[in-house]
Amino acid sequence: MAVRTQTYDSAADAEVALDTRLVAVGTWLFLGAEIFFFAAWWFAFFYLRALNNDQAWKAQGIGAPSKGYGAVVLVLALLAAGAYWVGSRAPSGAVLFRLLTPVALVLGIATCLFQGYEMWHLGFGMTDGGYPSVFSGLTGSWVVQFALATAWLGSIVTQSGPAGDTIARRKPAGSFAWILLFLAAVGIINYILLYLVA
Amino acid sequence: MVVSERRLAIPNNLITGILLAIPAYFAGVWLGTLFGLDDDQNTGVILGYLLATVAFLAGVGFLNYPLERLFGWRVTPIADPVENAGIGRFFRLSLDHKVIGIQYLVTILLMLLFGGIGAMLIRTSLLVPDSTITPAGQYIALIGLHSVMMIFITSAVIVGPFGNYLVPLMIGARRMAFPRLEALSFWVVPPAAVILAAATFWGGFPTGWTGYPPLSEQAGQGMDSYIVGFALIAVALVTSGVNMLATIIGLRAPGMTWTRLPIFVWGIFTTSILGLLAAPVLASALIMLGMDRTLNTTFYVASNGGSNYLWENLFWFFGHPEVYIFILPAFGIIMEIVPHFARKPLWGYRTGVVGLFGVALLSWFVWQHHLFVSGIAPVLRPFYMLSTELISIPTGIIFLVTLGTLWRARVWFTVPMLFCLGFLFNFLIGGISGVYLSDVPTDVTLHGSYFSMAHFHYTIMGGEIFALMAAAYYWLPKMTGKMLSPLLGRIHFWWMFIAFNSTFFPLFIIGLLNMPRRVASYNPDLVGLNRWVTISAYFLFGSMVLFAGNLIYSWFFVSRPALANPWHARSLEWQVPTPVPARNFDRVPVIVGGPYDYGIPNARPVADLGGMVGATGGG
Repeated sequence: MAVRTQTYDSAADAEVALDTRLVAVGTWLFLGAEIFFFAAWWFAFFYLRALNNDQAWKAQGIGAPSKGYGAVVLVLALLAAGAYWVGSRAPSGAVLFRLLTPVALVLGIATCLFQGYEMWHLGFGMTDGGYPSVFSGLTGSWVVQFALATAWLGSIVTQSGPAGDTIARRKPAGSFAWILLFLAAVGIINYILLYLVA
Repeated sequence: MVVSERRLAIPNNLITGILLAIPAYFAGVWLGTLFGLDDDQNTGVILGYLLATVAFLAGVGFLNYPLERLFGWRVTPIADPVENAGIGRFFRLSLDHKVIGIQYLVTILLMLLFGGIGAMLIRTSLLVPDSTITPAGQYIALIGLHSVMMIFITSAVIVGPFGNYLVPLMIGARRMAFPRLEALSFWVVPPAAVILAAATFWGGFPTGWTGYPPLSEQAGQGMDSYIVGFALIAVALVTSGVNMLATIIGLRAPGMTWTRLPIFVWGIFTTSILGLLAAPVLASALIMLGMDRTLNTTFYVASNGGSNYLWENLFWFFGHPEVYIFILPAFGIIMEIVPHFARKPLWGYRTGVVGLFGVALLSWFVWQHHLFVSGIAPVLRPFYMLSTELISIPTGIIFLVTLGTLWRARVWFTVPMLFCLGFLFNFLIGGISGVYLSDVPTDVTLHGSYFSMAHFHYTIMGGEIFALMAAAYYWLPKMTGKMLSPLLGRIHFWWMFIAFNSTFFPLFIIGLLNMPRRVASYNPDLVGLNRWVTISAYFLFGSMVLFAGNLIYSWFFVSRPALANPWHARSLEWQVPTPVPARNFDRVPVIVGGPYDYGIPNARPVADLGGMVGATGGG
């Protein structure tokens, strides 16, 4: 059986290609785990809503938080993910990458702050039934992960100097865009469930 | 932005981790008590455990990399492992997969001792039919600690030591794909074990390993140990899954095609898929439980919009794949070892791989059979009964592959081979009793009895632990450089095999006589059988002591160096010298043959190793 091989100009090129591939594979695998993590919360949403035990899915007087405010958080998240996606696809060392990555970072921080503010001003307590529980848990899990992703984004920005890790590993760093996009997509689903379907 | 050359100046090792974890725990308890919403200090305890874990990991050195990145310092590259790095490497953060494998092995054996002592205490309590030796509350706490500790162990007992050590060697790689993730998957296990053991100080927890609400909602702070400990194991499963799968997908040597992949690696591959996807569901369920206990949410409180069935569904959606997380690598071990000692090619290699994937796939469609007696809609019962019964087909295929390999073979009855044959005997009983239990009427009758308990001990202890022993006797010479005493090994096998069956087979009868599990007292008519089981269990524990004795005797008193390839095996891990060089291979090998081509005329050697000396061949 013939052995397929790929040739590279230097060992460093081969190492970068391998690194890029491994990080891409690892990212997709991690996203698989993430899907199952959030699916459990979405299951909780539908299950408890359908059961409506003791008529307490939503106690009387409890409504979804402001749709407009939720939309602002969602748009911020989408813009953060989109900015990094576009920047990370720019050619190596491009101005666009240096410009858009800090923008994505600022948008990411804003997303977390706005979401945090909303969670302190929900208009209902977490003990007020099924919906408040799911809202707090699902949104809380999402924003914690978005905050961690934003912190990683911060490290990509701080490592963007001439000898930084981001420049040496631009292609692997590109895989991170999928994680931000995934979290933004989860944000869309959460918005539909928690604000529209409720 | 300029990257700085600064470095963190903390010495990173196990001691630093412990020294940071202790004050972090008390700081967490204080903070939780200060801001907690609940009256039971659950917030403080959970926060204490979480902060202690983070501080421990920081002390070991896990925060260096993210902090270096975040502060804009130059990132420390992953250094190549060095030869003869000394024993200290086992007590600090190492990114060498071989060191991590040994760290896992020692940790898991210590945990096994803890879980085993728990089992002995349980059996001692059952020497008398009333609860005079152990009061009912303590008995159920013992059950919980034993069961969860054993679940922790069996989740990692093969993938941890053997998967981490051997997979790169078997696929011709010099490292793992993500060494930091690999190390993290290990270093969260000791805190998980300590946190679980800490439940003892809170009086344990009353739910067993299943953690059902409303009991878990009402239990004391011991339940918080369950939540955090199990969540850390979920982290270990996910990180290990990402790392193992990416390694197998991306770091196979040239020529290591999917059809040349050793079957053990396929076992690790399939189990990693299950761990990667099932553990996050557990994590979500545990977060909900933690929120209920600390923030007073009502996920599992039926009187306030929640439902305990939510937990049962989420838990078993994780829990049933979890039992295949235990057994798939064990199948891989058996199918890996048998051809080497049968000196025949693995019969039906591709069918065996299909069997592994069949089990992995079907494991997602059976979880509600655990709810047959908890009020599942009757219309769903036939589906879950049939899907559970279907699993016996791919499992049967794996059995046939093994038996087909043994057929007309001139078997070399080494100690690893004896444990493989013991596995086949035990798992057959465990598997067939599982088919009975998948039947709704049988399950409804026997679910809460010792029959069910005997079934899963036959599959996990009779299956996975026997496979573990086969792996230990087979691969430890490569991993440690020392041969284990074959005489003590044979005595160990026969002792363990007889004691195991003497312990667990009577439990089927006890179960059929309706003795309920998890209860400290029982019908006095069953005292004779129970005493027989308890005495057998002591002997079974003794067999494990003999195994430990064999390790100590062979490593420290006799110290017989292992040859590079004492079994004359073909697979790649045996073609490198013993002890394994720091970088595994002089250069990345080119694979030119299959690992099981025994007895095939003119079979090519398994790999072109570029002149590396180690192999004595095998044919």
